[in-house]
Amino acid sequence: MTVVPAASGIRSGPPPWLTSRWTWALLVLAALLVGFAILRGQHSFPDLPEAYQVGPFFDRIYDWVVANRNTSPLFLYGFNYLSVGLGSAVILINQVLTLLGWPGVVVLGVFTAWRVAGPRIAAFALATFLSFGLLGLWSEAMTTLSLIITSVLLALLVGIPLGILAGRSDGFNAAIRPVLDFLQVMPAFAYLMPMLLLFGIGNPAAAVATTIYAIPPAVRITAVGIRGVDPGALEAAASLGSTRWQLLTKVQLPLAKRTVFLAVNQTLMLAVSMVVIASVIGAGGLGDAIFQALNKVNVGQAFEAGLAIVLMAIALDRVTAAAGEGDRGPGAASGRRGLPFMLVGFLATAVAVVVARLAKIAEWPKSWTVSVAEPINQVNDAVQALIGGATSALGTFTLGWVLDPLRTVLTDSPWWLVVLAAAAFGWVLGGWRIALVGGLSILATGLLGVWGLSMDTLSQVLVAALVTVALGFVMGILAARSDVFARILRPVLDAMQTLPPFVYLIPAVALFGIGRIPALAAAVIFALPPVIRLVEDGIRGVSPSATEAALSQGSSRMQLLTKVQLPLARSSLLLAVNQGIMMVLAMVVIGALVGAGALGYGVVFGLAQNQLGLGLTSGLAIVCLGLFLDRLTQSAARQGE
Amino acid sequence: MSTTSGTRRVVTALALLMVLVMTTSCAVRTTSILRDPGTVRIALNAWVGYEASAAVLQYLLEEELGYQVQLVQIDEQPSWQALDQGAVDVIVENWGHEDLMRTYGPDGNDTVVDGGPNGNIGHIGWYMPAYLVDEYPGINTVDGLKENADLFRTPESGGKGEFLSGAPGFVTQDQGMINHFGFDLSIVYAGSEAAQITEIRNRYAAKEPALFYFYEPQWLFNELDMVRVEFPEYTQGCDADLDNVGCDYPLYHLNKIFRKDFAEQGGRAFQLIDNWKWSNDDQNAVAQLIADDGMDRDEAAARWARENPDVWRPWIPAGASPETD
Repeated sequence: MTVVPAASGIRSGPPPWLTSRWTWALLVLAALLVGFAILRGQHSFPDLPEAYQVGPFFDRIYDWVVANRNTSPLFLYGFNYLSVGLGSAVILINQVLTLLGWPGVVVLGVFTAWRVAGPRIAAFALATFLSFGLLGLWSEAMTTLSLIITSVLLALLVGIPLGILAGRSDGFNAAIRPVLDFLQVMPAFAYLMPMLLLFGIGNPAAAVATTIYAIPPAVRITAVGIRGVDPGALEAAASLGSTRWQLLTKVQLPLAKRTVFLAVNQTLMLAVSMVVIASVIGAGGLGDAIFQALNKVNVGQAFEAGLAIVLMAIALDRVTAAAGEGDRGPGAASGRRGLPFMLVGFLATAVAVVVARLAKIAEWPKSWTVSVAEPINQVNDAVQALIGGATSALGTFTLGWVLDPLRTVLTDSPWWLVVLAAAAFGWVLGGWRIALVGGLSILATGLLGVWGLSMDTLSQVLVAALVTVALGFVMGILAARSDVFARILRPVLDAMQTLPPFVYLIPAVALFGIGRIPALAAAVIFALPPVIRLVEDGIRGVSPSATEAALSQGSSRMQLLTKVQLPLARSSLLLAVNQGIMMVLAMVVIGALVGAGALGYGVVFGLAQNQLGLGLTSGLAIVCLGLFLDRLTQSAARQGE
Repeated sequence: MSTTSGTRRVVTALALLMVLVMTTSCAVRTTSILRDPGTVRIALNAWVGYEASAAVLQYLLEEELGYQVQLVQIDEQPSWQALDQGAVDVIVENWGHEDLMRTYGPDGNDTVVDGGPNGNIGHIGWYMPAYLVDEYPGINTVDGLKENADLFRTPESGGKGEFLSGAPGFVTQDQGMINHFGFDLSIVYAGSEAAQITEIRNRYAAKEPALFYFYEPQWLFNELDMVRVEFPEYTQGCDADLDNVGCDYPLYHLNKIFRKDFAEQGGRAFQLIDNWKWSNDDQNAVAQLIADDGMDRDEAAARWARENPDVWRPWIPAGASPETD
């Protein structure tokens, strides 16, 4: 057992747990390699008997649903309510936005932004709205906005109460955590299949998928906020005889307001990214525009729609972030002036609507558009011509010397050896419980009938994660040490985090051809931002007194970094590793769209060919891999503390 | 104390309400979603030829008959499910799919109907660059391909030659053909048509060997010189066993698939789509404007309509006076 001394403190030289843990991990790896060398190609995962196979079981369910969707009470009185209700809500909101016309929407939106977040962000919102029109994407943007509004409202309606419950009750918190974990390790693509089954095609299914995808952060962050409320304040209120309801509304929620707004913010961001992916199951709007442009290999057009999404995301992000920081808008200091302000806003909107109708410009005029697609395509071609050769050589090298050997070790080793190795890694990094979870989740991928595909995916994830973590640490450290660099980096990271994953794929294909390499490159770029952020935050969060003490003792900058800042920021760093790996996993799956194959291909193929069995087992196997990687890195983080 | 019993009362009331709602309200069918009778929803499958057809129909429905048209992007097979659920009204270019017709057609759920041919002839096949055939004469035959399979080796396909396939949603029998003829090839899926075309273009630019799944009608034929690999012609049933297919792909007479209710109550919108019939050249003309010249699909459709009025005039339902305004 690796019993870890709780506090190793700041000491020079590597702490003892490090050496012992690494030794053990290396031993496990060596055992795996030896086993591979001796038993190569033998003991591949056995086929289960027909009756116990999971895939065909799901296929039968699918057939049943198709035959009974409009006759079975389960659907007539259950799922159909949700899908019809949500689908209608999306259409209704869209109709309201159409009714307002673009001038009405712009006035209303900019006014709200100004009221909530101040003039600078209002100006940004104005620019965002105008860009939708100028890019010729007004109606697409409004469809996306209606989808986002519908699903975020629903997600918050469900998520915040659950978060409050989880914040107040330890039992409920413990019960809901695995559910949230499950939802969060499930890659976006894997959601689409069951949604298609239960809620049909188009906006309803997209709205439900987006809602479910966006709920976990709402619950989690709200719970953290409620728990973070100063216990002294609570006790004081309780001793004054407050009821639990009063405690919640008068103390906990007001004090946790900032965190709750962060939850709203994160929910929005996730919704934005999911809405784009949901275009695969027929959601309209900007995601659809990107999807369609990619089918035409038109990077420029995809970029235009991507730009619109990014601007929308940043505007939504800034407005909600400002709402959480406390009101900065005019007249915010006194709540009494709220009503007149709202009246002014509504009046201005009404005037805009009427004027636009009279002037017959309620629809954005087609002549008022500019296209940047052509120059973007030219730049893309130029870059490809310039470095395409070098990148494809790099790709071939990575494939031949890193990816293929790793995949061979994983797929050609006896299956029981891989399961044991997974368990052993779990044991080394986190004790017997993690060992159990790790071993079982790897075993489960085999039981689902997709062992080979899972090992292929695992090899891709491991390599991409390694590259991501290495790059992310370097950039995060740089950002923590230079304010200028950090300030330049922030909008770039914002944009990268909101850019829909699809968009990364096409330039990756242009540079690396098709196959696993472009998927890997896209995954690395996709997963970098959170890693950089967490590393930067962690290092900046190190208490100034510790760094000052070290500096006054004459530490060099290098010593400061390696001896003080990195060790003290360890839990943030390990969280960064965890986040990086999870995001890589999500993106590697989407990489199936450019020929990465493996589990992602199972999902995509299942989706495209209506093969629920293959789609769902592949999706579940991805979740198993996610659980394994997540538990392993999280427990490493916990032990590190 | 008082709050907990209060909560319990609320919960009981809610439960009762739920039961009430469940039992008294009417059953909800997926088809009862909000819909505008003036709107036609056309499924949009993910290849440009299809988009060209849909765009022209959209243009004519909007400009000539005054309908609103929504193009719903969705894969081939899920489009059928969308018809079944009433989420779209028509598929304008269908490739085969007899199994889906059994499930949703008159003998199954009875929610879709075959709308007859749209005039386009579809042909899937194996293709390679013309320069490759110049360099290795006869390589586009079964024997030539067998001999030279190693030419197509890539890092991604490992020790075997690479057969580059397209989007996962497309109809294929390639593995069966590889098995039957004993080619030393392995299939690499590009994952989407976009990725496949990018890869093909790169190979052409570098004059490298390539062997890939492609189909007509397709606008890329106007840009790249491709040669079809020759296989024994398709005969009825030769593709029955998908693991062992000893023939080429069949010729598809591409057809339209309607949602049954739309075919019965779709009015003049239905009549226009029902009348619509055009050639592969017509479709390619529009598709090339979209994909190669980078034109928006509505612009491309408008331009085609301006230049070819005698082609589409007959499609407009008789007695048509524009309903616009």
